[in-house]
Amino acid sequence: MKNKKYIYSIIVVLILAILGFTAIQKNSVQANSRIKIVFWHEMTGLGQTQLNEFVKEFNSSQNKYVVVPQFEGNYNEAVQKILNTHGTDASPALFQSMDVSTSQIYNSGYITPVQKFIDQDNYDTSKISAVARAFYSKNGKQLSMPFNTSQPVLYYNATLLKKYGITPPPVNPSYSDITRVATELYQKSGKKVKGISVEIYGWLFEQFLANGGESLANNNDGHSGTPTSVNFTGKVATKTMTWIQSLIKNGTFMNFGAGSSAAANEMAAFLSGKIGMFLQSSADISQLTSGTKDKLGITYYPHPDNQKSNGVSIGGASLWISNDKSSKVQQGAWQFVKFLMTAKSQAAWQVATGYLALNEDSQDESILKNYYKKYPAAKIPGQQLRRTKPNNTNSGIFMQGLIQERTLTQTAMEQIYNGSNIKNSLTEAQKAMNSYVTSNNLANKISQK
Amino acid sequence: MMENQAKSQNFKLSSEKEKSNISLGYNPYAKDKLYALLFLGPSLLILAIFVFYPMLRTIYLSLFLTNNLGNPTVFVGIKNYLTLLTSSSYINSLIATLIYVIAVSILTIIIGLILAQAATKKVAGISFFRTIFSATMGVSVSVAAIFWLFIFNPSVGLLSQLFTALNLTPINWLTEPGWAMTAIVISTVWMNLGFTFLIFFGALQSVPYTLYEAAQIEGASKSYQFFHITLPMISPTIFFVSIITLIESFKSFGLIDLMTAGGPNNATNLLVYRIYQDAFLNGNYGLSSTESVILAVIIAIFTFIQFKVLEKRVTY
Repeated sequence: MKNKKYIYSIIVVLILAILGFTAIQKNSVQANSRIKIVFWHEMTGLGQTQLNEFVKEFNSSQNKYVVVPQFEGNYNEAVQKILNTHGTDASPALFQSMDVSTSQIYNSGYITPVQKFIDQDNYDTSKISAVARAFYSKNGKQLSMPFNTSQPVLYYNATLLKKYGITPPPVNPSYSDITRVATELYQKSGKKVKGISVEIYGWLFEQFLANGGESLANNNDGHSGTPTSVNFTGKVATKTMTWIQSLIKNGTFMNFGAGSSAAANEMAAFLSGKIGMFLQSSADISQLTSGTKDKLGITYYPHPDNQKSNGVSIGGASLWISNDKSSKVQQGAWQFVKFLMTAKSQAAWQVATGYLALNEDSQDESILKNYYKKYPAAKIPGQQLRRTKPNNTNSGIFMQGLIQERTLTQTAMEQIYNGSNIKNSLTEAQKAMNSYVTSNNLANKISQK
Repeated sequence: MMENQAKSQNFKLSSEKEKSNISLGYNPYAKDKLYALLFLGPSLLILAIFVFYPMLRTIYLSLFLTNNLGNPTVFVGIKNYLTLLTSSSYINSLIATLIYVIAVSILTIIIGLILAQAATKKVAGISFFRTIFSATMGVSVSVAAIFWLFIFNPSVGLLSQLFTALNLTPINWLTEPGWAMTAIVISTVWMNLGFTFLIFFGALQSVPYTLYEAAQIEGASKSYQFFHITLPMISPTIFFVSIITLIESFKSFGLIDLMTAGGPNNATNLLVYRIYQDAFLNGNYGLSSTESVILAVIIAIFTFIQFKVLEKRVTY
């Protein structure tokens, strides 16, 4: 009896398997008639949902190409995967890669610069944010298409400032503007609410230098040649660290440390009204607006006193077209990139994720207008992006080993936050980075010949 | 019984056969070797592919600079080793690792033993406590990290609220170097306790009760019983646990990655975390291979010392 049951169940399973298999085959036959574009991305949460939505729209909008999105883990892991699978069947036709990997991906020689397609199509790039474009270009040539893009900004709790009768910081604050607000908040709240937090995060360090107009690496931050040394000990870097140390000294500063927990702790403290201001990526907006009933205020990134702000560069990631696929496939990848950059897509992208709409025309889309009506402060990051004129110090650093740079500047920041001598800490980090740059250049030049 | 007899008879027969083979000039060991190869072959093959080859490759890579793709490009000999051993930040990592490993091992063993001893008491509801004490075995590292992060959170965390309620200044657990190490040690010990408790508890159960009865008749105190009966009887277990905890804590990664990311100021940047950072974040495969080789040597030395020193005190 038992055996019979087994046999029946095996037969049923076999039939189901055969049916399933033919169904899969049918599907793949259908897909085969269209050109398959494998697209690797690293978006999670809301970003992933919206991206999949875009893919669905694109796939149903035409019948020549079919985009297959694949999630590839975090940014760092993805870089290694992209480099190691190139030239195999597993490699993507289109991939998203983070801001700091730009120089590394470019130097691998594994990509077709999107400039080629821009020229072919006479595609009008002037609609797309100049600062974002500058970040991903080399010698005026567009290497990849900026995609999910954020700006560093200062967030403040407007409700909390109002409660204690404090004038909010101006839209384009200097360091001493921030010191004033932070100190007042700390004093007037009876030392219950801390004024400000600056996460120990190398990206923010880079932005302080950018906004102060100081190069972090030589050869104009790598825009005119491979950097051979770095500069962490310049005027702006020292000024900024001195400013932070003074905030720590007068008790209004809150240090959340470094690493994945730091940003989360900082966010939790801000949402629960324990700190009044913090510096972070504009991509946090949706989390902040949904996390608290308090009114959110946003200003531009603070700049050193007695000088104009130079403008900050961007963060996020860009889209690259791999050169190991046929020209037809590459063409398809480019079509999808163009689809993502339309005013409509970009507006939807900002509303869904908090990343900035890069297409100028997106500002006229009703979906974005309604969003601004609901959250007026959400306008600020985009304004900051559009007012910045790209130059060599605010268009990112074109250098390999930026992850190492961030680790080292973060260590220096940790030491400084704990009271170490600013010059010593920065010099130590600079020395370590210089020796890294030297050996990295040595190791990579030989492979490129 | 029957089967055993049959087996031994078989054995006799086969050994007689072998004897007769020898006289015929046939090497009996050849067959043994063939069998040995057949039985060991598969595992040897797997070990060779997944252990020996990577080991040799690591040593090879440790002598090179590597490019972005991880390929060795410039041969630098022992320069990587010299760079590391003269770098103050690496030496700091080394010292931090030693402090961490020793603190974690000792605390885990002592607290685990205390808990196990307490759990042998026959009081009401003891099985509940036994379950609780061993519960951390079922907790994954990421869950533990989130749990401890909540406790250590500087503004809304449990500990800081407790400190504020008691009118004490809250400690910045994860941002001040000394406290960060303390926080990591506390969480690791907590993670380890479940396993250690279970092993010790099992060992304590296997100590014959008659020994304690004899001691009681002699009038020996509880503490005398513990140090002169319990400890010697479970010493093999203590030895085993100490080696396992030591090696495990040399390799700890998850809690550090999730709680401090090696900070603040490299205070919790232990050797394994450094290897990960250099290889998978900085793409410095050569240097991280060098770090791996050094770590392997250190663990080997520690294990050797433990076998030499501790084993003498173990009564089997």
